[in-house]
Amino acid sequence: MDKKKDIMNIPKQPISQRILKYTLTTAIVFASLWSAAGLEITIERILDAPRQIGILVGAMFPLDTSQEAIDRIIPKVFESLFIAWAGTVIGAIFSFPVSFLAAQNVAVGAVSRITKQILNAIRAFPELILAFVFLPITGLGAFTGTLALGIHSIGTLGKLSSEVIEGIDEGPLEAIKSSGGSKINELIFGVIPQVMPTITSYWLYRFEINLRASAVLGVIGAGGVGQELINQLRFRDFPRAGTVLICTIALVLIADAISASIRNRIIQGKVVKG
Amino acid sequence: MINIPKKPPPSYLVTIGIPFAMLFTVFSFQRVGFNLKDFRENLANRAIVTDPLFNPKWSWAWENTADAMVETVQIAILASIVGCAIALPLSFYASRATNLNKYSYFLYKSFLNLVRTIPDLFWAMLFTVAVGIGPFAGVLALIMFSLAIMGKLLSETIDSIDPGPMEAAKATGSTHNQTVFTSALPQVLPNFTAYFLYIFELCIRASVILGLVGAGGVGRIIETQRIFLRFDRISPIIVIILVVVILIEQFSVWIRRRIL
Repeated sequence: MDKKKDIMNIPKQPISQRILKYTLTTAIVFASLWSAAGLEITIERILDAPRQIGILVGAMFPLDTSQEAIDRIIPKVFESLFIAWAGTVIGAIFSFPVSFLAAQNVAVGAVSRITKQILNAIRAFPELILAFVFLPITGLGAFTGTLALGIHSIGTLGKLSSEVIEGIDEGPLEAIKSSGGSKINELIFGVIPQVMPTITSYWLYRFEINLRASAVLGVIGAGGVGQELINQLRFRDFPRAGTVLICTIALVLIADAISASIRNRIIQGKVVKG
Repeated sequence: MINIPKKPPPSYLVTIGIPFAMLFTVFSFQRVGFNLKDFRENLANRAIVTDPLFNPKWSWAWENTADAMVETVQIAILASIVGCAIALPLSFYASRATNLNKYSYFLYKSFLNLVRTIPDLFWAMLFTVAVGIGPFAGVLALIMFSLAIMGKLLSETIDSIDPGPMEAAKATGSTHNQTVFTSALPQVLPNFTAYFLYIFELCIRASVILGLVGAGGVGRIIETQRIFLRFDRISPIIVIILVVVILIEQFSVWIRRRIL
């Protein structure tokens, strides 16, 4: 044994771990090469991409800040905000009772299982697919987007809320039961006060997600700022597209900040000074 | 007499926030054109969609979606791998625990936040304009998408690592880079793997709709059929997508259980 090994007596990684490591690395490299080849992505295209992106970004500046552009874009940006909010409210109102039916510790086993499967099925459809299925029925416009967001939110919020309900502390429920409270009393005074803060923060969190989703919905004509962006890009009006983009970013950043601070306040409580 | 302590007065968040939220809700519903009467009338015409939707043309879907579906999966694979690979070093710069320079920390953090505000389909639209219609634009869009999510999740994980090993490495005289590489990186690698699989699932879901703006994948076929309201052709595609998504999620859950 040579000297170096003698001093640094580091144990070797077990052989099974090393095999796993090399197989994974090979699999990842192979998967990316297979994908790149299948999508006809060549080195030249990759090397040329930064230049092309630079041209697009360059074409957006200076931004189009004319009165006409602002008058068109700002209402659309706010429309996205309204769609996201209304969609979240629909999701919150409907998912709240449903989540009690889906929670194992509140509802009977069969009811809970069936409700959970229904929620899973709703969640499986992306908002955009729901939106274009509704589009021919409810027509172009913000209402279709609201409906799509609302229904998708019922699925996601229902799942999250039911998991919150399943994780509650059973102690208060027992206390209510032992003092003669009914099942309804248990729900109102035992379950709801425990889950409300977390569920409310999930509603706000969902609002943040819905805001991004509602910006996208305009792409297929379901209202909001996405429509404006795709139109300007189609007509090659890049300065105006840049304005749309900046306005969207500003809206999302501001709404995120407000929503996150309210969420923190709800979850962590008031900070008492002194 | 039971001596119940007085309830504290509700905070201003409740007294002002709730009425404001209610007003905002009413206003939002007005602005999005919510109208129950119209809605009910519209629902009466649902047959134009539901009839074809529930009479799927399976044979057509089998013949036309296979290639596009493979393309969708390839976009998701490539984008999640590249996006997460780029996010790995960036996350260390965007964490207070490993980036000692306040200004560069702030810069990286803001960059990741900025990327995160732009929705995936917006990226796709921008890239189709920049590099042309096709899956390459989709890959670039999803790279930004996975970069943003991984950057946020991983940098927050790095924020909360155990500082002990880093101190130990520093005490043996290693440079900052060596410290990060030997004591911070191994701590977050299991999280990185878990997040990667999660992001891969998200990418599969996201890549399905990229085609709506011309960025490749199965969405491209949906888009052409959607314009002609061929819901009899769309419904089998949606079912195929759901099956593929569920299968891939199961696969990813299986891998996660194996390696974590």
